[in-house]
Amino acid sequence: MKRTTILLSALLLAAPAAADEFTEADLKRWQAEFQTVVKRGRAAFTDPKLGSNGVVCAQCHPNAANTHPETYPKFQKQLGRVAELWEMVNWCIQNPLEGEPLAADDPRMIALQAYINWERRGAKLAPGKH
Amino acid sequence: MNTLSRRSFLKRGAGAAIGGLLPLSLVEVAFADKRRNFTFAYISDSHIQHIKGNQFVRNWDRGLIRAVAETNLMDPKPDFVMYGGDLAQLGTKAELDHGLELLGALRPHTRFVMGEHDYYLDLGEYWSKLLGPQYYSFDHKGVHFVVLNSILTYDKWINKWSTPEERMNVMAGLDNPLGSPFMVGAKQRAWLKQDLAKVSKDTPVVVFSHSPLQKIYKGWNFWTEDAEQVQALLKPFKQVTVFYGHVHQIQYNQIGNISFYSAMATAWPWPYPATYNQKPSHLPKLTVEMNRADPFFERDATGWQFIDVWSGRATVHYSLPENTPRTVAYNPKTRRPEDTRYQKKRIPPQKHY
Amino acid sequence: MRNMMFAIMLGTAAGMAQAAPPLGLPPVPVPADNPQNPAKVRLGEKLFHDKRFSSTGEVSCATCHQREKVFTDSPLRVSRGIRGLTGTRNAPTVVNAAYMHTLFWDGREPDLEGQAGQPFLNPVEMGLKNYDPILEVVRSDRQYRKLFKQAFGLEPKQITMRHVVQAIASFERTLVSGDSPFDRWYFGGDEKAMSEQAKRGFKVFLGKGRCVSCHTISQTHALFTDNRFHNLNVGFARIDKDVRELAVAFMQARKKGTSVDVAVLSNKNTSELGRFAVTGEWRDMGAFKTPTLRNVARTAPYMHDGSLETLEDVVNFYDKGGRVEDDDPVNAFQSGGIRPLNLSDDEKADLVAFLEALTSPEYAKK
Repeated sequence: MKRTTILLSALLLAAPAAADEFTEADLKRWQAEFQTVVKRGRAAFTDPKLGSNGVVCAQCHPNAANTHPETYPKFQKQLGRVAELWEMVNWCIQNPLEGEPLAADDPRMIALQAYINWERRGAKLAPGKH
Repeated sequence: MNTLSRRSFLKRGAGAAIGGLLPLSLVEVAFADKRRNFTFAYISDSHIQHIKGNQFVRNWDRGLIRAVAETNLMDPKPDFVMYGGDLAQLGTKAELDHGLELLGALRPHTRFVMGEHDYYLDLGEYWSKLLGPQYYSFDHKGVHFVVLNSILTYDKWINKWSTPEERMNVMAGLDNPLGSPFMVGAKQRAWLKQDLAKVSKDTPVVVFSHSPLQKIYKGWNFWTEDAEQVQALLKPFKQVTVFYGHVHQIQYNQIGNISFYSAMATAWPWPYPATYNQKPSHLPKLTVEMNRADPFFERDATGWQFIDVWSGRATVHYSLPENTPRTVAYNPKTRRPEDTRYQKKRIPPQKHY
Repeated sequence: MRNMMFAIMLGTAAGMAQAAPPLGLPPVPVPADNPQNPAKVRLGEKLFHDKRFSSTGEVSCATCHQREKVFTDSPLRVSRGIRGLTGTRNAPTVVNAAYMHTLFWDGREPDLEGQAGQPFLNPVEMGLKNYDPILEVVRSDRQYRKLFKQAFGLEPKQITMRHVVQAIASFERTLVSGDSPFDRWYFGGDEKAMSEQAKRGFKVFLGKGRCVSCHTISQTHALFTDNRFHNLNVGFARIDKDVRELAVAFMQARKKGTSVDVAVLSNKNTSELGRFAVTGEWRDMGAFKTPTLRNVARTAPYMHDGSLETLEDVVNFYDKGGRVEDDDPVNAFQSGGIRPLNLSDDEKADLVAFLEALTSPEYAKK
């Protein structure tokens, strides 16, 4: 009995041999990585230097309320076409914040989206909803 | 294609006039006693924000400029203007000076309510120097007006910050978890008690407060910590109305004998607390929400109010440059404030925020 | 011309069927009580060109809305009616007006039928005291009798002004045109249809230029108008100082029965009230309807008072946040959508090139 237990424990503690295996520790670590970026997103969300006039996202969107990330992609009137969340984030940076747009894969853009979605977790997907 | 029929289109055109330019006959219907009925303007939450030098955030400047210009269009002139608080964004001298300069164009006399954005940099020192007491009362045409400073908080919190700027910056973030709940406080409640002792129970009482004097959502300080105690002081009076700012959205409520109406901001709108789906909140069920249209237009979901006071009750006209105007009036039959058009039938924009 | 013929032919062939809309446009809305038919369209066109419907016999609808000028009177700033009397506003194009939700710069009429009836009675346009002269002509003229019979099945004495304006509106509903270089590129998928410069200009239009929110486009068509009213700060300076007195006086006059149509076209100050004159609401103060940008390169000058001569002038005006000169004051009622844009010279030129790509083939300069 004892030998089986030791064998089993050894198997559990060992790094996954197959690519589709991951452990609780992996899950914890990946969540932590994500939360690090969420925190950076919150920092950008409240950063007066994101735009050029000192206005921050959180002024109009406390706790990222009314960003409705679950509705993207959707027809965005201000862009004249169906667009994604990051494009609307850029619209806000350029217009109310009078700043320069970020590339879609700019770490700050990724972080902003991580924060926005995190604050809206649990909302059902509703793509296209105005 | 426009589905408006020709007749209804023409009807809307003729009768849609609002404000002091309403055909007099329409306004007088509500007035019972002409001597005691009057109108005042209520402008709030301009958040004049300094960038550097003599540059201020243009968007917020324009909101206040518009409210002032529209107030000046009122005919007849309103009896006075009440400014609802948060004139400045970070309470600096530059912001208060610039805001007062813009308000200076107002034709009628203006009184002021303190907001947290005006207060927490220097605890109201510059404000009081320019504008006088932070809480006071006055009488006008048979109505007893009280102005409270309802954005105070625990002394311990006020004193724990290393600089005034730090304290102001924390309080300036609506969703900042390091903030502290608003309150009127014991000292002011004591003052209120003895101020109201001189007022007869039949006299209509109108209270101006920046925070809601209710408990709506603590996370964004849509909250007054001692709301129940303040309400208790107002309970003996037959007609009480509370006007409050801070929330940047339309809210109204009836608690016992007290009617509550919020002000819209001239600067920018806030989402309703329910849109933050991680925490519960308690928006008065009575409220039909404001419309949100298109933030491209800077004045979307912003505006100011003019209020008809008749027989001690209020009709609040929300003047909204980019949205359909709203009127919320005390209904003597149901004894509570109601939207005169949408209370029973809401339209899609009012569910979209 | 070809498009209209095509539309009429299709209409004839398919009976009451509507022709397919031009590339870049949605189906033309047709009210249920005024269906299209070829006779009605021919009748409407004849009425549109009839100078007998003016007090001096000089003016017809076509006087201010000439086909060769995309149904405007370019380059006139403001239109001229009987005896050369001038109004206060620039004649909008009739082309694609069928898609408008309201007519006139201030939207005072809800449909083409309503608009058609007003200029006849305006003292600076056709100058008639009432509709009698028109009804006289249409009930007695042999050609008209024939056309009204074909279009509506009416006997002469049954003809009313309602039928007259319905026929004119019917004709106007055939004046739709798209298929511009922009349409062929954006909706037609022809990469070569629009120049590279115009494509850059389109990016400015959607982005830094902040044009698309009022001059709207969508995934399947582009009307280039939101059908709403905005105060841009074009001519408001003339009434800014006295706006309260002017507004109060105007509302009182209106209560006493003054016609909005007459008042706004006869007095430059009253004209500046814009949509406020129609609704009495402060949010409409000095606001005018967003026009379509289709064929804009051919319909100079621009704005409700025709005060901006060229597309470059227009782009500069928007770039400066609603100013001609850098230090012009901006009125308190200006739309929150207008702000200084800080466009580079290249961006401005590109934007103009894009606007020039919105001209339909039938209206292109020969």
